[in-house]
Amino acid sequence: MQTIKRSGGGEHWGPSRAEVVAAVIIVGLLLGFPLLHPGYRFLSLAITTGFTAIALYGLAFQFGQAGIMSVGHAGLMGIGAYTAGILAVKCGIGFWPALPCSALAAALVAGLIGLPSLRVSGQHYIIITFCFCALLAIALTNGGGLTGGASGLDVGPIGPAFGLNFNKLLNAYYLVVAALLTCLLANHLLVNSPYGRTLRAIRENERLSRAIGINTNLHKIGALMVSGLFAGVAGILQAYYLRHISPGLYGPFPSLYLALMVMLGGSRLLYGPLTGAVIVSFLPELLQLNPIDSRIAYGVGLLLVILLLPGGVSAGLLGVYRWAMSKTQPSNPRGRRGHA
Amino acid sequence: MQILIQQLVNSLSVASVTILIGIGITLIFGLAGIVNFAHGEFLMIGGMATWFLVTSGWNFFAALAAAMVLVGVLGFVVERGLFRFTLDRPMNGFIMSIGLSVILQHVVIRVFNEVQKTIPDPVGGVWVIGGVDVIAMRAVVVGLTAVVVAVTYFGISRSRYGMALRASIADPDTAALMGIPVRRYVTGVFVYGSVLAGLGGALMIALFPITPFTGSVVIIRGFAVSLIGGLGNVGGAVLGGLILGLVDGLSAEYGFPEWTDAYSLVVMIVILIVRPQGLLGGTLGPRAT
Repeated sequence: MQTIKRSGGGEHWGPSRAEVVAAVIIVGLLLGFPLLHPGYRFLSLAITTGFTAIALYGLAFQFGQAGIMSVGHAGLMGIGAYTAGILAVKCGIGFWPALPCSALAAALVAGLIGLPSLRVSGQHYIIITFCFCALLAIALTNGGGLTGGASGLDVGPIGPAFGLNFNKLLNAYYLVVAALLTCLLANHLLVNSPYGRTLRAIRENERLSRAIGINTNLHKIGALMVSGLFAGVAGILQAYYLRHISPGLYGPFPSLYLALMVMLGGSRLLYGPLTGAVIVSFLPELLQLNPIDSRIAYGVGLLLVILLLPGGVSAGLLGVYRWAMSKTQPSNPRGRRGHA
Repeated sequence: MQILIQQLVNSLSVASVTILIGIGITLIFGLAGIVNFAHGEFLMIGGMATWFLVTSGWNFFAALAAAMVLVGVLGFVVERGLFRFTLDRPMNGFIMSIGLSVILQHVVIRVFNEVQKTIPDPVGGVWVIGGVDVIAMRAVVVGLTAVVVAVTYFGISRSRYGMALRASIADPDTAALMGIPVRRYVTGVFVYGSVLAGLGGALMIALFPITPFTGSVVIIRGFAVSLIGGLGNVGGAVLGGLILGLVDGLSAEYGFPEWTDAYSLVVMIVILIVRPQGLLGGTLGPRAT
């Protein structure tokens, strides 16, 4: 994002013109999508994309900024979803009061699971997250009455708020879009804050950061908790959208798919995770692939992206945009700088 | 006591398959510096190939050899075609291997189907030794694994190729200056690990049914085994496999069977946190993240 600012040519602080235009287009597309009469199928697909993207923003934040990858992210969504589910079934607490509880529960668990990241790093930590996620799925399956075992839990509808009835699919869509936009904004502010800069310093050189007085342990756990917060929100939205949750949704394999989506879209650019979620959800539907073929296509696409566009599809699109700009404005040689 | 010994004997054959995949992963992860999440799929493909050949009339041991060759070729193609380009960015290689495992799994589902596959016992017969039943096929599996372990162990610790390999892990630049073709060794280790996965798959289908999803179950046990023992450490992989096999066998008999899968995960997490270099010590895997 800081490079977009540079390529915009302005030296002033704040969003550049290109950034504002991109934001207006994205917000317009998200809000205007139902006006295209997408039909039930595509609208529900868009809702799924929305809450998946929210979880992806958390994952992209911890990976793109702090450099900590996780393949247990669906587990954190599961914490959010099951917190909401248990509150609904056991205590009769509805969506709105449960929302902060889910987010906080997921953030806390994310912090706990993150503790080993202070000791081990890289692939070792990834494998730990995978194990935690697999453990969680086993625990949820064996949880007996509390988690409903393998068959899971049912939750009720989302209670009305501001006079809106969220049983209508369209209103549920706007709810998810509102959450997604909040999450985009939060992500943008965090990435461009001094905190985001601190995390990037830790990512690039942890020992140096510690030497200049940054409390790296605290900040790493902090980044993971922010990531967990996003996952918790995504989890409760998913629970109330599906109305039924089961351990299978939150095992290691959904987590792997989340990690793959982040890599596909790109983790360091603001719209990267959204791009990844949209591609993965909509492309198979538009190409009318059956589930098996779409998984194969997904894998092949991922291999191509990693080999050809290591920054993800979003970085590739940005590169194309800069290339086009440099053709039209040859006087701006800085415009083709690499991504952040 | 009889039951305990019977459980131990049964665990040993399960542990053998785990050890085979664990050695493959420990070599590829610890020595070649590649985290291959698709390794479990390699094993599954080895099993599927064996099933296909045996059902079309081949002898089991011929099918086993063919499966090893097939998976070895697959490993060669994958290393040269994909992982070669991510050697300096292991994290990308890791993510790519997850994508690869998704592809292989679903290609197998497409070519065959999702139904589990079994073959008739290639070696029949049960020996009774001191009141303990020893199924002949399981003894064959344990024996083959022992041979592989011995060959791999001495190959790495004693032969000049093993020494060159270890040198190119310790210091690739110096090793290259000494005339060791470092990249070729990386390929060699990858192919060798893949061949072992093919063998593991063939032996696995001789013992248990295999589905296209078997790979994803096996892979995490393979990582557990190699990380418990220490990356790149063949003896460590054997120790890890025995620990996991034992934990599983005993928990099925004495613990809570529905938590069986959880024990190996807990053992792995604890060891990764307490002793990241593994019980017997090993490399720390790829340096960069």
